[in-house]
Amino acid sequence: VLGGYISDLEKGDEFEPVRYTLSSESVIAYSDGNEEDGDWFHGDSNPWGKQVRPPTMIHSDKMRLLEVNCAKERRIAGMTGEVELDSDARIHFEYHCRQHSPAFVGEELVLSGRIKDRFERKGREYLQYELEVNTADGRLVTTYLDRTLLRYTPKENA
Amino acid sequence: MSELTANPTLPQTGEELNGPDIKVTPERLQVADKKAHVGANIHTDVEYAKEQGLSAPIVDGMLSVNYLSSLLTRAYGQAYIERGELQCKFIKPVYVDQVVRPRAIVGEREPGEDGRERQLLETWVELEDGTKVVVGKASVEL
Repeated sequence: VLGGYISDLEKGDEFEPVRYTLSSESVIAYSDGNEEDGDWFHGDSNPWGKQVRPPTMIHSDKMRLLEVNCAKERRIAGMTGEVELDSDARIHFEYHCRQHSPAFVGEELVLSGRIKDRFERKGREYLQYELEVNTADGRLVTTYLDRTLLRYTPKENA
Repeated sequence: MSELTANPTLPQTGEELNGPDIKVTPERLQVADKKAHVGANIHTDVEYAKEQGLSAPIVDGMLSVNYLSSLLTRAYGQAYIERGELQCKFIKPVYVDQVVRPRAIVGEREPGEDGRERQLLETWVELEDGTKVVVGKASVEL
């Protein structure tokens, strides 16, 4: 179910797409934050002649989609520390990114995706995301699968 | 800033790729994602981490993913950014102040798309004692 908490998401939920223009500042901030000091991500000096983002920025795209599609999720707003949290922390379990083309600074990106599965294993609940990034003019950039544990403590111990 | 190479000399089957040893200090975590790590969170907040059932704050898994991605960027250059694939499973937690090391072993090549060869790799991140904390695989269409 969209519009609520991340823990409300169910198999088959289709995210409302998100569009944004990739900025140089965001690519530099992400790269620096993750200690990627390669020149390709900090300017136009690279084989394409325009600043490119690291493939791992797909994970920031996932957060953008969740911000829009899970309006009650105060964990995201709560990251500012300004509101009291009312949901459990999630644990990232699997990251699977496939690049189909680079994404360049200045391009408008369209994020879309769905909840591919929601399942329980050993008392723990997982969400499986299936996301896609395209440019606004239709070029496929990244496809992404992600499994996330909704709560670390198993149900019987909660 | 490091200068990346578009077409580096490709590593051969069986060759090991080793990234640097990186001690994941609290400062590194704060820098890695300012938005995610301010306020109550399981990465820097001891009390909140325990409330969530963890024994101590754990390091954001995306930091390990990024260390592996940087390793592949340097080994395969433009091909990795355009046609790379990386899969990671976070099998053990990494705690603050532990040292991690991204690694890979170059596997076989197989037919890929558009007449290209696809290079397969086994990838992982390990602690100082060799304990694997992230395991996975990668491929690059050459």
